[in-house]
Amino acid sequence: MTFTSFKFLIFFPLIVLFFNLVPKKYRLYYLLAASYTIYGLLQPAYLLLLIASSIITYSFGVWIDKTEDDEKKHKIMIGGILLILLPLFMFKYYNFINESIISLLGYIGISVSLPAIRWLLPLGISYYTFMSIGYLVDLYNEEVEVEKNPCSVALFLSFFPIVFSGPIERAGHMFPQISRMDRSKPSDLVAGAKMMLWGYFMKLCVADRLSLYVNAVYSNVEINNGSSLGLAALLFPIQEYGDLAGYSLIAIGAARCLGFHIIPNFRRPFFAKSISSFWRRWHMSLIQWLTDYIYTPMAYALRSKKSWGVVGALMVTFLVSGIWHGATMTCVVWGLMQGVLLSIESLTLNKRTAFETKYSLEKKWWYNLICIVCVYLIFAFSEIYGMSSSFQNSNAIVNKILFDHGPLFLHPTSLILGFFATSILFFKDIREEYFPKAFSNTNNYVKITLYICLFLYILLFGVLDGGQFIYLQF
Amino acid sequence: MDKKVIIEKLTPIFREVFSDPNLVLTDELTANDVDNWGSLTHMTMMAEVEQTFGIAFKLKELKKLNTVGELIEAIQTKA
Repeated sequence: MTFTSFKFLIFFPLIVLFFNLVPKKYRLYYLLAASYTIYGLLQPAYLLLLIASSIITYSFGVWIDKTEDDEKKHKIMIGGILLILLPLFMFKYYNFINESIISLLGYIGISVSLPAIRWLLPLGISYYTFMSIGYLVDLYNEEVEVEKNPCSVALFLSFFPIVFSGPIERAGHMFPQISRMDRSKPSDLVAGAKMMLWGYFMKLCVADRLSLYVNAVYSNVEINNGSSLGLAALLFPIQEYGDLAGYSLIAIGAARCLGFHIIPNFRRPFFAKSISSFWRRWHMSLIQWLTDYIYTPMAYALRSKKSWGVVGALMVTFLVSGIWHGATMTCVVWGLMQGVLLSIESLTLNKRTAFETKYSLEKKWWYNLICIVCVYLIFAFSEIYGMSSSFQNSNAIVNKILFDHGPLFLHPTSLILGFFATSILFFKDIREEYFPKAFSNTNNYVKITLYICLFLYILLFGVLDGGQFIYLQF
Repeated sequence: MDKKVIIEKLTPIFREVFSDPNLVLTDELTANDVDNWGSLTHMTMMAEVEQTFGIAFKLKELKKLNTVGELIEAIQTKA
């Protein structure tokens, strides 16, 4: 039951309706039952894994809280994290490590065979694993209070709008909301519905429409020329943005209809003027998580090395980010690319700031535009490796883009509708980025009419055949 | 250690690390008030502070420091 399925559109309003009818003291159990039912309908066997992770998280949380000695607390936290990471390792990374060892030994002439695991990846495992780890670390750092109700911990990890693909929430932000759980306010219902509608537009009209062109080109690299591959490479970040940010908005909007305020995940990333600024706007909940639980402890441990300590921490952080996105060597290289780019920015930050201040470049529109275009092109290039499963494929794409030009492969319907929907999306983003007060006094009737138009546009021009979300594969 | 002495020693560190020669330290000053005070420069600043005052912070302690005033208090406790 994904967000774009017909079942979800039927059941979701009913879930919201009953949430508001159920007495307050039973709402926690009601939402937990709803979340487990939705998860169980998709992957019944792995529901047990989710429950087991919740029990471990709850038990280790209570254990950390009851322990006085700081060193012992630290050991319990590490033990809990290792236990929580075990299923993620087994399901997602076991085969990757096996295959890496086999090919490494193969290079030096040793032939070995290691048993492989061919199980389906449990949905949302990367997300709820990170949320569990965040809770235990925050508890150890005394940044959150222990949660004594096991059902609250279970709901935190299984809350159906966010369990499958995030945003990656924090215990300190979610537990107070779980313990409050009042009836949905009319303003929450309206705001939630608006976010969901906009999310569906981004997913069905921008991402899925552009994907018809991008997939057609990328899945036939050998017969397409560099011009078509170049256009696909330029469109892919927009497709990804529509897919990932659209999914996040639907999730945040669905949670809002139940009165929950979920942390944002995207903030107009294509207006970033530097790679570091881009990563503060793109998949923000993951990057903030990585910053808090990987980058900061690493940078702290390496602080005596000053700038080089920061570089080391950045490289490790984005290596983890790459591996999180996929258990392939191309994802590892993608992560390292981001790490190198951010390290260069970090090492040159002071000189760049001084140069920009000296010539007042930050106030010049052409300088900002150049920065924005450069960041986009760099990201689009890195995604040729990020989205591919092999270097051979990525290198062939890059090679053709550079040296094999010719007439463009055109798919007029996808391109025209895709560009039109993208221009609506960018119009909204430009307004929010540069003219936040524009149209703020627009008449309510006009606003309602526009939302009805958006709804009709989705029905008429959206790709409504249940396309999969990119985030679900993580 | 006297608060005034701590501020005198902290000011050049902050100005150097955050590339702001006119930065004035106040108790209420936070990372949000200084342009170049991000996660990248924060650790460099803390390493300089530890070296200058001959002290060491645990990550847990460091995370609780939100303002310059809290940093000064922490230095007073340790130095």
